[in-house]
Amino acid sequence: MKVGRRKFLHAGSAALVGLSLKTDRPIAGSFVNDSFQMGHLLRDRSSFPSARRIEKFPVVIVGGGIAGLCAAWRLDKRGFSDFVVLEMNPQAGGNARWGENEITAYPWAAHYVPVPGPKAAYVRELFEDLGVLKNGQWDERNLCFAPQERLFLYGRWQDGLEPAVGLTQKDREQFQQLEDLFAKFRASGEFTIPLELGRSSRHQDLDRLSFADWLQQQGCNSRLVNWYMNYACRDDYGALARDTSAWAGVHYFSSREAEEKGPLTWPEGNGWITRRLLERVGENVRTNQMVHRITETKRGASVFAGDTEFQCEFVIFAAPTFLAPYLVPGFPGLHDFIYSPWLTANLTLERLPDSRGAEPTWDTVFLDSPTLGYVDATHQSLSTHIERTVWTFYWALADGTPAENRRLLLDKDWSYWKEAILHDLERVHSDIRQCVQRMDVMRMGHAMIRPAVGSVFSAERRRLTRRDTRLLFANSDLSSISIFEEAQYHGVRAAQTVLDNLDGHR
Amino acid sequence: MGILLFISVLLVAACGLIYELVAGTLASYLVGDSVFQFSTIIGTYLFAMGIGSALSRYLDRGLVYRFVWIELLLGVIGGFSSALLMMAFAFTQGFELILYALVMVMGVLVGLEIPLLMRIVRDRYEFREVIAHVLTFDYLGALGASLLFPILLVPRLGLVRSAMLFGLVNAGVALWTTYLFRTRLSGTRSLRVACVVVLCALGVGMAEARRITATAEDNIYADDIILARDTRYQHLVLTRFKDDLRLFLNSHLQFSSRDEYRYHEALIHPGLAAVPTPRHVLVLGGGDGLAVREILKYPQIESITLVDLDPEMTKLFSTHPMLTKLNDKAFLSPRVHITNADAFPWVEGNTESFDFIVIDFPDPTNYSLGKLYTTAFYRAAARHLSAQGLMVVQSTSPMFARDSFWCIAETLKQVGLETHPYHVYVPSFGEWGFVLASTREYTPPVSLPSGLRFINVEGLSALFQFPPDMAPLAMPPNQLNSQVLVRMYENDWKDVSH
Repeated sequence: MKVGRRKFLHAGSAALVGLSLKTDRPIAGSFVNDSFQMGHLLRDRSSFPSARRIEKFPVVIVGGGIAGLCAAWRLDKRGFSDFVVLEMNPQAGGNARWGENEITAYPWAAHYVPVPGPKAAYVRELFEDLGVLKNGQWDERNLCFAPQERLFLYGRWQDGLEPAVGLTQKDREQFQQLEDLFAKFRASGEFTIPLELGRSSRHQDLDRLSFADWLQQQGCNSRLVNWYMNYACRDDYGALARDTSAWAGVHYFSSREAEEKGPLTWPEGNGWITRRLLERVGENVRTNQMVHRITETKRGASVFAGDTEFQCEFVIFAAPTFLAPYLVPGFPGLHDFIYSPWLTANLTLERLPDSRGAEPTWDTVFLDSPTLGYVDATHQSLSTHIERTVWTFYWALADGTPAENRRLLLDKDWSYWKEAILHDLERVHSDIRQCVQRMDVMRMGHAMIRPAVGSVFSAERRRLTRRDTRLLFANSDLSSISIFEEAQYHGVRAAQTVLDNLDGHR
Repeated sequence: MGILLFISVLLVAACGLIYELVAGTLASYLVGDSVFQFSTIIGTYLFAMGIGSALSRYLDRGLVYRFVWIELLLGVIGGFSSALLMMAFAFTQGFELILYALVMVMGVLVGLEIPLLMRIVRDRYEFREVIAHVLTFDYLGALGASLLFPILLVPRLGLVRSAMLFGLVNAGVALWTTYLFRTRLSGTRSLRVACVVVLCALGVGMAEARRITATAEDNIYADDIILARDTRYQHLVLTRFKDDLRLFLNSHLQFSSRDEYRYHEALIHPGLAAVPTPRHVLVLGGGDGLAVREILKYPQIESITLVDLDPEMTKLFSTHPMLTKLNDKAFLSPRVHITNADAFPWVEGNTESFDFIVIDFPDPTNYSLGKLYTTAFYRAAARHLSAQGLMVVQSTSPMFARDSFWCIAETLKQVGLETHPYHVYVPSFGEWGFVLASTREYTPPVSLPSGLRFINVEGLSALFQFPPDMAPLAMPPNQLNSQVLVRMYENDWKDVSH
């Protein structure tokens, strides 16, 4: 019956639209930065060329994302530059890659870093080095400008993302109840960033149930509360609350001090940090280098990429950890590493779409949308007059299993996703089709680690953080959450371990 | 023949409704209060139709002949109604009188149509069929017209030509009727000639509609709007009333030529006259050249750099005779260098230093403009100050937007500048405020350029005194990531306008 009515409405509106003779402009675009072909070569155990050349470095870093680049940054900063970073993609940065066109630079994935708290010492050190933090003051130009976030609900806008319009007494009570609970968890000092510094077994039982079950145990049945909790899980973990460990759900809300400063952000998102890191260590970074085998030797390890064997003393494995069984002969299979598939799109807008009278904000979210909304790349521009912009659209494919959604990403063509994205935006910006000039879509099958039930305290994970081997793992997935601070923490820690042991040798 | 006849009914009904809608819409546009206009016009029109119906009983012979004449009359009156009403509004005092008289006449004529048509066809059909057919097509015509009017006619043709188009339909029906009922008519030739004359007149009207509208509009804004232009950046309107020239940007008053000297003398001289040896001056905003006019009164100044976003604005104030008279051809001085750029990126990218910086932006009415009132902006601007340099900031009204004014002062203080707020009275603005900011001690000047009309040395110290209702308030600074000023400003002015 629902379908019948919808069809009728479509026919009716088509008749009216027919009178106005509006035509949609053609939208250019394609899939970009696809990397699954390379991944599938590894998965299918394809044959790779045998080594014809040998290069020697004391340290090889596998993976040029934030973890790898920050490991490199640490080595370089401590005066050690005899290392190489091998990146599979044509562009370094991983989840902090960026793009640029004639209008602005824009992010391809991660687009902000919350103002780091006192525990995130390495992040603070990095930002001091990059000039973002000077004499204890954050550079205002790198803090997110106002207005920051807005949520579209019931045909109107509200400031901020936590629903605040049309709440019943019950909704309000449950939001308050959770806020009080999260404040207690925060006060316990166990939900920290980096996660490793605070985590203790006291709240380990939270890791044994899903966040959705935990919410239910607290009696949270408000639709808006559940929407918001699910939004948070989709946003940071690419998963629904029912697929997220309650410990991780609590961590999202309890790990940061509530402060007004707003996150650090740039037009190209965390791509700005990648750029600054590449200015420092770019000479040591080699792109288009797909590592296909890592073997441990008597005095170190060999890393095979293309037809080159890199002989080294230490390998920092900063690529996603799930690749290890495919690269390291004899490496045990991994069970606690589940990744969420994502889709991002950059929309080049020829003019600013109708936004129902509201001024543009940094982050825009629609209530009850399966997507995560979009971020405006020119928001951090100092200009007062902006005519064109780029929106980065985020979509964590959270509903269904990761495997199903990876298949969907591979099966559907570009226009399918283009239409789906426009359809979502049209709910609010009715003239969006007249504004979009280009839409490039990036598919990521293993975009971010998912803190599934049991993964925060997983024994498998703990084993991989051992520091007494020649193969040191450093990806943020060791923490079971995919955020900048964790990637940077593990990268720096691995680099420091290498430095300590190299020093020991010499 | 039956269906052709009923199509006439449909067309005639459509015409009747269109004239009514045209009158209602035009009255709403010109006078405003659309609810009142539509209600009274529909009421009057229906009432007049009733009169027409009542009068139809007095017509008993030559019904077809009379119907043709009614159609022609309606074609002329209805067709030209819209043009007539615009002219009436533009050139007479009695718009309402003419409006309702016209609505009455058209209503009476429309009221005559249907009863006459029914009587014309009554011998062909049974009474109940006549009623059913005629009324069915009557209502169908009304539906068609009411949909066409907002969807196609108003957007595509406009009000003047829509009315004329339906005037043509009325006249067409008249001509057609002379063929349809040729057996029941005498003197068809002269009737047809009349029809053709009316059709031609309306045709010419359609072709000339644009000129009619333009003539009327010119007069509606008589002597008021000298210039209205949508530039890429803003809507710019220049008005004149007697000797008062006023500039509005996006509907905000920028100056009135009667008292702008108060504003611009106060903006420039308390600061600039206190700089020991000013050589290089920077003006941010100020595309009207009035601040530059004041700065040019200092012969020792070698260069004035003006950064304004809108090239059309600076071009207009370099070329328009009325405006160059007002700014003393300031932009034609070889000492003045104009850059059309967005101020914040310009300030970030430029490395020159200046002895006096004038920051004269529109008030912080939105988050985009708000960026130009932040610690980040003032920090970037202050880097351009020379050792003897001073900076002055247009800071909205300390009377009507007291919070905002002191917030701007606090923002300047936060970046390590010494601040000296002051205020003046500008009749067209009200009480207005500025903040002088410097890296060194400021003492008011002891001499000023000659020929000033408002600022004098004796009165200077009074400008820096704030009476209790404008006295300092503790306010947070405005930063890019908070932009407290935009909300504050909105609240301040909300309180004033209610």
